[in-house]
Amino acid sequence: MYSRVVQNFLKKKKIEIGDRIEIVEGKIKYEGILMPRSELGDTSCLVIKLDNGYNIGIKFKRGLKIKLVKKGKPIRFTPSKLKSKLDKSKPTVSVLGAGGTIASRVEYRTGAVFPAFSPSDLIVSFPKLKDVANLKGRKLFDLFSEDVTPKHWQIIAKEVAKEIKKKVDGIVLMHGTDTLHYTSAALSFMLQDSPVPVVLVGAQRSSDRGSSDNEMNLISAVLTAGKSDIAEVIVCMHGSMNDDFCFIHQGTKVRKLHTSRRDAFQSVNASPYAKVWYLERKIEYLREDFRRRNKNRKIKLDLKINPNVGLIYFHPGLKPEFIKSLARYCDGVVIAGTGLGHVSTNPLKDKFTKSLVPAIKELISSGIPVVIAPQTIWGRINLNVYTTGRILNEIGVIGNYCDWLPEVALVKLMWVLGHTKSMKKIKKLMLSNVAGEIGGECRE
Amino acid sequence: MNHKDLGLKAGLEIHFQLDTKHKLFCGCSTEMKEKKHIMTIKRKLHPVASELGKVDIAAQYEYLRDRVFYYQVFKNETCLVELDEEPPHPMNREALKIALQIALMLHCHIPEEIHIMRKTVIDGSNPSGFQRTAIVGFDGYFKFKGEKIPISQVTLEEDAAAKVKEEGKNVIYRLNRLGIPLVEIDTGILENFTPKEIQEIAYTIGLIAKSTGKIKRGVGTIRQDVNISIRRGARVEIKGVQELGLISKVIEKEIERQMNLIKKGEKVKEETRAAKQDGTTKFLRPLPGSNRMYPETDVPPIIVSRKLLRELKRKMPEPLTEKIERFKRNYKLSDLLANEIVKSEWLETFERIVKEIRVQPSLVASVFTSLLKDLKRRENLDIEKLREEHFYQIFSYLEKRKIVKEAIPEILKFLVKNPEAKLDEIIFKLNLKPLHKDKLKEIVREVKKKNPELPKEKIFGIVMGKVRGRASVEDVKRIFKNLK
Repeated sequence: MYSRVVQNFLKKKKIEIGDRIEIVEGKIKYEGILMPRSELGDTSCLVIKLDNGYNIGIKFKRGLKIKLVKKGKPIRFTPSKLKSKLDKSKPTVSVLGAGGTIASRVEYRTGAVFPAFSPSDLIVSFPKLKDVANLKGRKLFDLFSEDVTPKHWQIIAKEVAKEIKKKVDGIVLMHGTDTLHYTSAALSFMLQDSPVPVVLVGAQRSSDRGSSDNEMNLISAVLTAGKSDIAEVIVCMHGSMNDDFCFIHQGTKVRKLHTSRRDAFQSVNASPYAKVWYLERKIEYLREDFRRRNKNRKIKLDLKINPNVGLIYFHPGLKPEFIKSLARYCDGVVIAGTGLGHVSTNPLKDKFTKSLVPAIKELISSGIPVVIAPQTIWGRINLNVYTTGRILNEIGVIGNYCDWLPEVALVKLMWVLGHTKSMKKIKKLMLSNVAGEIGGECRE
Repeated sequence: MNHKDLGLKAGLEIHFQLDTKHKLFCGCSTEMKEKKHIMTIKRKLHPVASELGKVDIAAQYEYLRDRVFYYQVFKNETCLVELDEEPPHPMNREALKIALQIALMLHCHIPEEIHIMRKTVIDGSNPSGFQRTAIVGFDGYFKFKGEKIPISQVTLEEDAAAKVKEEGKNVIYRLNRLGIPLVEIDTGILENFTPKEIQEIAYTIGLIAKSTGKIKRGVGTIRQDVNISIRRGARVEIKGVQELGLISKVIEKEIERQMNLIKKGEKVKEETRAAKQDGTTKFLRPLPGSNRMYPETDVPPIIVSRKLLRELKRKMPEPLTEKIERFKRNYKLSDLLANEIVKSEWLETFERIVKEIRVQPSLVASVFTSLLKDLKRRENLDIEKLREEHFYQIFSYLEKRKIVKEAIPEILKFLVKNPEAKLDEIIFKLNLKPLHKDKLKEIVREVKKKNPELPKEKIFGIVMGKVRGRASVEDVKRIFKNLK
């Protein structure tokens, strides 16, 4: 975005972005296409693309002679109109778009990114897709992953169910990666008894580059949706830094564990369901304990959710008042505790330490369930080993023996609170394994 | 052959690796000293949507279909940035300053805001599929034999990964070179110059860049591309001329090749050719269309402040071209010696010594150039072991007449093997203490007395052998002269 002064000047001169202009400053003459500019840097610098492809910035100032040389074409993305025939030998997969880099396309002149969600756009971008499946699909919305809310989970779940009812062989949901594992957990609870695979997929590298992981991830996801036997909500992402296989993760056992690497998504406290060998187009199962594909099974859509749940991270010095204040905003609280599931309880009565027990007790007694999850990410909660744990267990903190991820515990609590307000039922439902979120036997 | 009649036009693109501590967009070392890679990453590249339409995509697709790229990772010299697993860090300011300094020395205009671009490359030489590059100067010039040589632009970019080998569909690259800052200097069209002069122009550009003292040395650190056309011929781009001394030969050979084609009535095609060691070239590919470039949105544009420009102008290094003239004038160095010493890695030490110690500059310069070269080549000595203090001390001893210049080779040979040895100790051990004039006279007389029948030159030789490293030729000569 240019500064207001520049914008006004351009408007007056009837110069628009994309036009070819000439700028003369003393002895220096520049000619090129006026580019849009990023908010970073100096917004009063005009950015022009020279004929050799480079951009440079010229500070807008008095004495600069700027004139229009030629009107340019407006900068926009033209969708493809490619028609493809239905190939009956191949499965049909619905590809739904919920934003993210995975299927965005770049307008190379400017670097501007446009979403490209129509099946024909996908085939233009990834020609190999048509060897894998017949594609249907549409864009649900176009959001940064961090702007996705529980409301959007409901919209996605509803749309996925709608597609499944059209008797497709599988669903692929393209999603931004930052919160992809929240959405996969939410869909796992909301979409029960799916007859076909529901595969979430994203990309860690932008789509403009030849090295983007979008192609491998998307082709693997479409292959999994169309051919695999795993009729669950699953996540398909790079398995390593190599371009050789993707992992298929259980939707409630996966987390983004790296800010940028291709293999940022890894299964936690569980093995992935399968490996998808990208070049070989082969699915190698690593587990057997998944729900099988069955076209006759009816999907159950359970959208009820209460989004008023907070997830907080315990840390040294956390104030009891902060915990207490949560009652004002939350109908349920998940605490990511240290170690086996701890927060400060101060059994040794240290003079500097403030126990959180009274605050937590207050929440629970006012009907706000408090759930514990491991901030270590890996491992299982066990409230029997240390005094602290035993105290928390005693006052009714939920989650003993659970190996759930904090984010999954959060989504589950939202979903559970959408179904009941009774503390007894909440506890029972939380501790029962609904969508594979709790591994192993954990009930007392 | 008269080159003016041929209508020879040429353009030079010269690439210099910068000797910075870190790479251009990450904190990795630029030293390339690791011998063995610690892991290999396997990647595929896929075609990217193009402005040029489907044909280009199809070509890319065909090219990339079966290709698998393997990238070797080196400790301290590769990180997630080179592997395209992490966004780039901010542009290395040390590299930027050097590049701007070079642009300023070439009288370029400096953009007020530098925009980093992504240039699409699909040969796998960059795991990301593009090379980051930015214009840091444009429309400059420098003086060559009184004429203004146009510089179209100076760019700062990432060096590409070096190819290890290609086996069928598998291509292996080393990632240690990837991301080393590279300055590319492009000339405008050079007309009415002979191939020899074009080579000299390239040499001069090299001298100007090296004036910063921040250009890497060694094989492959400087690479030259030459664009050539002649009348009725076609523009041909010759990539990768490794040695500067080959440029004129490459041009001559290309003229010859085009002339032959024209004589045979064939059409000269526009193409990219690769330079070979012997100065001939081989076909590489048709001339590519204009580069596909789009903004690197992960690195914010860089505002070049007036303050920074002022600072750079204040710290502007003396161009080596001028330094050569000054050395010839003030230090009475020969043209050859002046040219050699400015290119030597000991230039700074040389300047310090001749400034602070009263010794003959040509002697100091020849120690740093021919003597060191000799020790390395003839005696195969590891001269890397020698440090600035070694030379500083040797020349101060020489100033104080504690040694004679003839002792220097022996001292250096000893120091290479014992870099920690004290100079006094070495002098004692090797018996290099200068002989007193009287002692010297005595030796001369003695030798003469023993060999009365020998001619004077022979006797001089015997004496010099006897006093090796302990007396200067000049002193011995003087004694001979006075001896009657």
